[in-house]
Amino acid sequence: MAASPTGGGTVGPPPPVALLVSEGGTRRLAAVDDAAAALGLFVGQKAADAAALVPDLVTTDHDPEADRAALEILCDWCVRFSPAVAIDGLDGLFLDVEGVSHLWGGEAALLDDLLDRLAQRGAPARGAIADTPGAAWALARYASDRTIAPPGGQAPLLASLPVAALRLDEAAQGQLPRLGLFQVGQLLALPRGQLAKRFGLSTVLRIDQALGAAREALTFRRPATPWFDRLAFFEPISALSDLERVTGDICGLLCARLEAEGQGARRFELVFHRLDGKDQPVQVGLSRPGRDPVRIAKLLKPKLDTVDPGFGIEVVTLWAADVEPLSTAQRSLDADGGVSLEEGLAPLVDRLINRLGEARVWRADPYQSHVPERSVARRAPLDPQPEDAWDPDRPRPSRLLRRPEAIEVMAKLPDDPPVQFRWRGKSRRVRLAEGPERISQEWWRKAFDEIGPGKVRDYYRVEDETGERFWIFRAGVYADGERAPKWWLHGLFG
Amino acid sequence: MPGAKPALSALRAQIAALEAGTRTPPPVLPFGDPRIDGCFPAGGLQRGGWHEVGGSGLEEETGAAPAAFTALMLRPLAAKGAVVWVMRRDDLHAPGLVNLGFPVQRLIQVRARDEAEVLAVLEDALATVGVAAAIGEAESPDLKAGRRLQLACERRGATGVLLRRRPYGGPAGKRREVSGAAAQTRWRIAAAPSQPPPGEPGLGPPRWRAELERCRGGRPGAWILEQAEAADGPHPFRLVSQLADHDVAESEPRFRLVG
Repeated sequence: MAASPTGGGTVGPPPPVALLVSEGGTRRLAAVDDAAAALGLFVGQKAADAAALVPDLVTTDHDPEADRAALEILCDWCVRFSPAVAIDGLDGLFLDVEGVSHLWGGEAALLDDLLDRLAQRGAPARGAIADTPGAAWALARYASDRTIAPPGGQAPLLASLPVAALRLDEAAQGQLPRLGLFQVGQLLALPRGQLAKRFGLSTVLRIDQALGAAREALTFRRPATPWFDRLAFFEPISALSDLERVTGDICGLLCARLEAEGQGARRFELVFHRLDGKDQPVQVGLSRPGRDPVRIAKLLKPKLDTVDPGFGIEVVTLWAADVEPLSTAQRSLDADGGVSLEEGLAPLVDRLINRLGEARVWRADPYQSHVPERSVARRAPLDPQPEDAWDPDRPRPSRLLRRPEAIEVMAKLPDDPPVQFRWRGKSRRVRLAEGPERISQEWWRKAFDEIGPGKVRDYYRVEDETGERFWIFRAGVYADGERAPKWWLHGLFG
Repeated sequence: MPGAKPALSALRAQIAALEAGTRTPPPVLPFGDPRIDGCFPAGGLQRGGWHEVGGSGLEEETGAAPAAFTALMLRPLAAKGAVVWVMRRDDLHAPGLVNLGFPVQRLIQVRARDEAEVLAVLEDALATVGVAAAIGEAESPDLKAGRRLQLACERRGATGVLLRRRPYGGPAGKRREVSGAAAQTRWRIAAAPSQPPPGEPGLGPPRWRAELERCRGGRPGAWILEQAEAADGPHPFRLVSQLADHDVAESEPRFRLVG
């Protein structure tokens, strides 16, 4: 099914409106509204000619990006009708309505509801429902408005349409009328082999796509999923307590289905559809797949403050993503505590991640690298445990400075650890030192010039007279004799 | 106190019973040495409560020695459940905790945006099933926040530690000296010179000068503690020496405002 807002103009009383575009130094009309079209203006006309014909023509620059953005908003709005909505070209939308039309009491009622709502908002649109996207595209644009093709019955409806309804490429479309082929029906009557030879394989493919013999992949704004539920209200709601109640209700609906199928989801998106067509989405994520409606509603509820109900909310939809099989909860049998991860840590991690963001909650896992600042990988806290571990015999500080801080040192011999150093304005006498542990740069990560002896770090663990332990390193070696290598403090052992 | 009059101890037990309501006496985390455990009313660091650990000097900012001490002190608890570490600067280095024998795979690190969030996350973590201990790095909570932490600890018997840490570049010396009242204990940790084994080069096992400044229902104390070797038994610390009272007084130089 496709909806095509004609032109780009707004509906309203005259004056006529046209959008302009610059083409090679000439201003031409890119789109005209109904009033302008009635006065004889057409797309592609020179702006000067149009202005001469219709002096009170209102013109604005054509803005394709804004058009696209508006279409995307419309696409998101259509989610109230079906979870699978795809943008088609510059002015069309495909909705996959399989399995949702019963919510309106039939396909005709669904189509009427959609088009009436669009008309109310001043977005002129046409629509059709058919088995295939190709047939729906053709019927919406060239058949009478609100055509509904019966299952398997698109061929007779398409037969009388012009060949342009088949979405053919330009070359084929230009050639067909010259051969006296004006209607789809004439094309369908020809042998396929000749068609492919003459007009290219794409022509045959388009015909097959319209009739359902070939599949067509649509790029949905969000992948089609059965894990979707909606609640519509007789009266629009706006009170926060009502929003909380329906949040609980819709979580219950979807989670009951998840439970029945033995599935759990990691992400949930709750969208409140307002009377004025704006959407107010709220998302939560779980660290492990879940389907406990109470818990999910609890995560969603604190975010409901951000929902602005406007004049009221008439539809609410809930969409689950990252759905995976989840066995029924089993209480762990160990004596200590006797609670499973699902009841304890997982909700905590979810609460923290939803409050602070994913980057702020982590577990440190070993990463195969000798460079200290790269040896830690951050993982989600409840991910499977890593197999490798850090070597407990290599001294590592408990606090690692984000970037090493320069220190001034005094060393007896070039290759010795320092006897005294100064850090943050305080001079410290080294009592004990241990090292060096030589760590060189990972040559496979850097350009050739950036590695070499100058980038080698010699780490020492030193203890000053008060017992404070530091991790310091010398960058480079005393080989060249031109410049003394610098010393840095990288961490504190405590 | 052991050896006090029996009437006094009976009265003390009565008060403790009133304070605790119908709760069972909380389990403790012993240090494994009577000279330390004797300072606590129940013979060890009380679980199901929160403790305050601070440093001195530059350590107030870097918080390295208090962090290492805390990780070692809570190491036995990490075997019982997850540990949550809430901080404002993410400079905690997990391999360093591995050196201390801390099971980092049970450590959940959280970086909060401000002090209030640190306390909120700490409270949330402490009240969660499956969390054995939670550590928060904050400057100093007020009495109300401290009380909330205590209630959260009591719900599941988790142990909380508040690492007092001044944000980098914050005003030095201008601290609110209030918190302590709600905490079970207050510690001040500083590094102490280590003693390498005779004949071996390098550094010895890390040592700390641990001052128990305040202990609810117990008495203060000060010790030099060393990280225990595996042969020393299950407890994470080995007592090197007990410090006399005058050592404690001396350790914290008091500056006078002049002019």
